[in-house]
Amino acid sequence: MLGYQNNVLRVDLSRKECKAEPLNMNWAEKYIGSKGLAIKYLYEELKPGIDPLSSENKLIFMNGPMTGTTVPCSGKLAIAGKSPATGTICDCSIGGHSALNIKYAGYDAIILEGALDKPGYLLIENDKVSFEDASSLWGKGSHDAETALIEQYGHDYSVLSIGPAGETLCTMACINSDYYRQAGRGGMGAVMGSKNLKAIVVRGTGGVKIPNIVEATKRIAEIERENTLLEDNTFVFDFGTTAFLEACQDGGILPKNNFSDATDIDWTKYNGDVLLEHLQGKRGCGSCGLGCGNFLKIGDVVCEGPEYESIAVAGPNAGNSDPVAIVKANQVADNMGLDTISAGDTIIWAMEMTERGVHDFGIRFGEMDKYIEYLELMARKEGVGAELCLGVKKLAKKYGGEDYALEVKGLEYPQYEPRGSWGMSLAYAVSDRGACHMRAYAPNEEVFAASIPPYTAEGKGEMVFRLGQSNAVKFSLCICDFWATLDYEIMAELMTLVTGREWTADDMADVGTRVLNIARAFNQREGFSAKDDTIPRRIVNEALSTGAAAGQKIPMEAFEDMKQQYYAVLGWNADGTLPESLLATL
Amino acid sequence: MKRLKFSKEKCIGCQLCAQACSATHDGVFMPSRARIGIESYYDRGGVLKYKDAYCNLCGICFKNCPTGAITMTDKILVDHPTCIGCGTCAAKCPRKVVKIIDKKSYICDTCDGDPMCVKVCPQGALQFV
Amino acid sequence: MKITITLRGTLVKYFNGKRDRQIEVPEGSSAEDALLAAGIDWKAIDSFGFVAINGKRVMITDTLNDGDELKAYSKISGG
Repeated sequence: MLGYQNNVLRVDLSRKECKAEPLNMNWAEKYIGSKGLAIKYLYEELKPGIDPLSSENKLIFMNGPMTGTTVPCSGKLAIAGKSPATGTICDCSIGGHSALNIKYAGYDAIILEGALDKPGYLLIENDKVSFEDASSLWGKGSHDAETALIEQYGHDYSVLSIGPAGETLCTMACINSDYYRQAGRGGMGAVMGSKNLKAIVVRGTGGVKIPNIVEATKRIAEIERENTLLEDNTFVFDFGTTAFLEACQDGGILPKNNFSDATDIDWTKYNGDVLLEHLQGKRGCGSCGLGCGNFLKIGDVVCEGPEYESIAVAGPNAGNSDPVAIVKANQVADNMGLDTISAGDTIIWAMEMTERGVHDFGIRFGEMDKYIEYLELMARKEGVGAELCLGVKKLAKKYGGEDYALEVKGLEYPQYEPRGSWGMSLAYAVSDRGACHMRAYAPNEEVFAASIPPYTAEGKGEMVFRLGQSNAVKFSLCICDFWATLDYEIMAELMTLVTGREWTADDMADVGTRVLNIARAFNQREGFSAKDDTIPRRIVNEALSTGAAAGQKIPMEAFEDMKQQYYAVLGWNADGTLPESLLATL
Repeated sequence: MKRLKFSKEKCIGCQLCAQACSATHDGVFMPSRARIGIESYYDRGGVLKYKDAYCNLCGICFKNCPTGAITMTDKILVDHPTCIGCGTCAAKCPRKVVKIIDKKSYICDTCDGDPMCVKVCPQGALQFV
Repeated sequence: MKITITLRGTLVKYFNGKRDRQIEVPEGSSAEDALLAAGIDWKAIDSFGFVAINGKRVMITDTLNDGDELKAYSKISGG
C-alpha cells in the first residue's frame, strides 16, 4: 500500500542503538495505523503482567497512511504503551506537527524499547538518529525544555517533551508537542520518564507518495470543501471547544464542585465569550482543515486553550469562576507536563475531602492559588503533592472518600456528567484506557441532539458501540475527531485514494470493531473483565439538584443492563471477556 | 494582474498549501520542496508568529536572473535547460520562497492562474486576487 | 403567548446575525412549533443541534409557556 513509508524506527535506549525495519503490512491491512496498529504491535510484543514503568514497557509513536498528505485533519499522532495509571493499554492522540515531521523523516512509527542510563533526548533528522545528553534539561518544565531545544535546532523541528511530572514518574504525566498539545491521559509521560527520555527532537524533509497524486489531491480538496468545511465541523474554528461550555450548562451536564451537581449559575463569567475576548490567533495541527486552537493572552498568562475539559475541571468543578485562574492552571499544568483532567479531578476531590472533614488536604473549593500551587507540587512529588499525585482511586483507598472519587480503572472522570447522559456512564466504564470521553462521545447523541432521551438505558449499548467503533477506526487512520461528519464512505474513499488498495465502508466498520476488540483483548490478558467496567458510587447514589437533569441518578440495574447490551453487541461473554473464537480473529 | 494575498488571522498553520503545491508540481507531498512555505509557530511558547513565505510576484528574481531563464508575465516561469542553478533568485527573493534543488530553480507559477494552495486553504487565509 | 427565541452557534444566520427575536405563538405550542413560526424548520437544517427552554435542554416536542426563552443550538460534536 502507498501512503505509508513502510519503515519503522526501532530504538533500543538501553544499548543506544536503533534500526529501521519494514512496517508489518499484514497487520496494517487489519488495523491501518495509529491507534489500532500501535495497539496490535503492543499486543504482540509486550508480555502480560509487566510493570509499565519498567524498561520492559514500550512506547510507540505511530502516524498513519494519510499523515503528511492533504487529507484534512490527518496530522495527529498516536502515542501508546501500557498505562502506569491503570495497567490497561493506553493510546493517546496528540496534535501539533510532530506526526508530519516523523512521517516526512521517513517513518510510520518510532518504537522506544528499554531505557537510557541517564537523562537524554533523541535527535532525528531524516535518517540520522543520535542520542543526546539532556542533563541540562532535566528538571525543566516542558515548555522551558522545548524553548531551549528550538533555540538550539530551529523551529522547523518538532519537539515532543515531558515536564517534571514525567521525570518523577507521576502516573498523570503527559507528553507535550508544539508547547500546547498533549498526549494527556494514562501517564504516557511517566513511561517516557521511566526511559530517562526528556524529549524527541525531530525534523523530516522527505515526502509521502500516493497513487495518481495530482488527481487524488484535487478530489481530496473537493472532499475538504464539501464535507470537512461543513458548519457541523467549522464551529471549532469559530469557538474552539469553548462552544461546549454553554451547551453543557444548558444540557445539565457541566460538573460542579467535584461532580456534586451539574450546572453552574456563574458560567457566563468564564465562558467562550469571555475567554475569546483575549484571542491572539488561531492554530491547528499539521494538515488541519479546521483550526480549533485558541491562543489566548490574559494578563501575563498565555495558553493555547484552555480546552473544555480544562475549563470545566478548574472552573465550576473546582468551585471557581475566575477565568484568569482557569487559564493559569492550564498553563502551569502544560509546563509541568501534567494531565489537566486527572490532576484537576484529584485536587477537587481533595477539596471535597477537606470541606467534609474526612481528611485535611489544606484546600477548599474555589481556592485557586492553592490549586495552581498543588499542580506543581504534584508534578514534582513534593509536599502534599507527593500524595495527591497518586490519583483518586489510590487516595480514596487510603483515606476514604470513595463515595465521591470518580474514576474507572484508576483513570479520573472527564467533565461530562453521566447522570445527564446515561450512555456516557457506559462509555466511561468500557473505554479501553479507563474513564475516557474520547472513545464513545455520548453527549453528541444524547444531549446535543434534538430528540434522543438521555435518561434511559434503552439502546445505549448499541449507541456506545457505534460511536466507539467509529472513533476507533478514525483514530487509526489517523484523523482528528473534530471532523465530525467523516463517515465510513468517505473514510473508505480516502483510504483507497491514499493507499491504492480498495477499501469499502464495511471494511472501515470492521477495522473499528477489530480495534475495539484488540484493545479489550490486551486488557483481558492483564486480568480486566466486567467487574472492572464500573460506575462511581456518586453517580448511582446521589441525584443531581439543578439543571436539565435535576433529580437524575443512574440505578445500578440500568447500568448493568447497558453493560450487558454492549457486550452482546460485540459478541463478548457476559463477563466482559472475548470468547476464544473472537480472539483468534485478531 | 492577480497575486496571492495572505491574511494571517485566518491562517491555522496547517501547511496544506505547501503539501498541495508539491503534490501538484513534484508528484509527492513534500513541503521541503514546495514553492510556498507559510507556517505559524510559537516563539518561546509566548507569541504566535507567522512565516509568510509565498510568492507575491514582486519580480525581483526575474530582474536579477543572469541567464534570462526566468520570464515573467502574469506568472513567473523558469526555463530549466537555461537555468544554471546560480541561486541568485533564491538569495534575492525577499520572502525566501525560491527553492534551488539539484542546481535548478523552482518558483511559484500560480498553477497557471488557478493556484492549488488557495483551493486547499481551509479558512481562506490565502486568496488569489 | 410571547416567546423569545435565541440562536447559538452557526444558527445565528437564520436571524440575519441577530441573536434573538421575540415572537407570538398559540398556547400549548411546542419548541418545534415556535421555531417553525420563526421560519426555522429544524428537520431541514443538517447542522441543527438541540433546544433548551429557560436554560434547560428539552426534547424538540416539549411545550412552551408564556414568557419562556427558547434557545436553539447548532450541532457541536467532539471530545
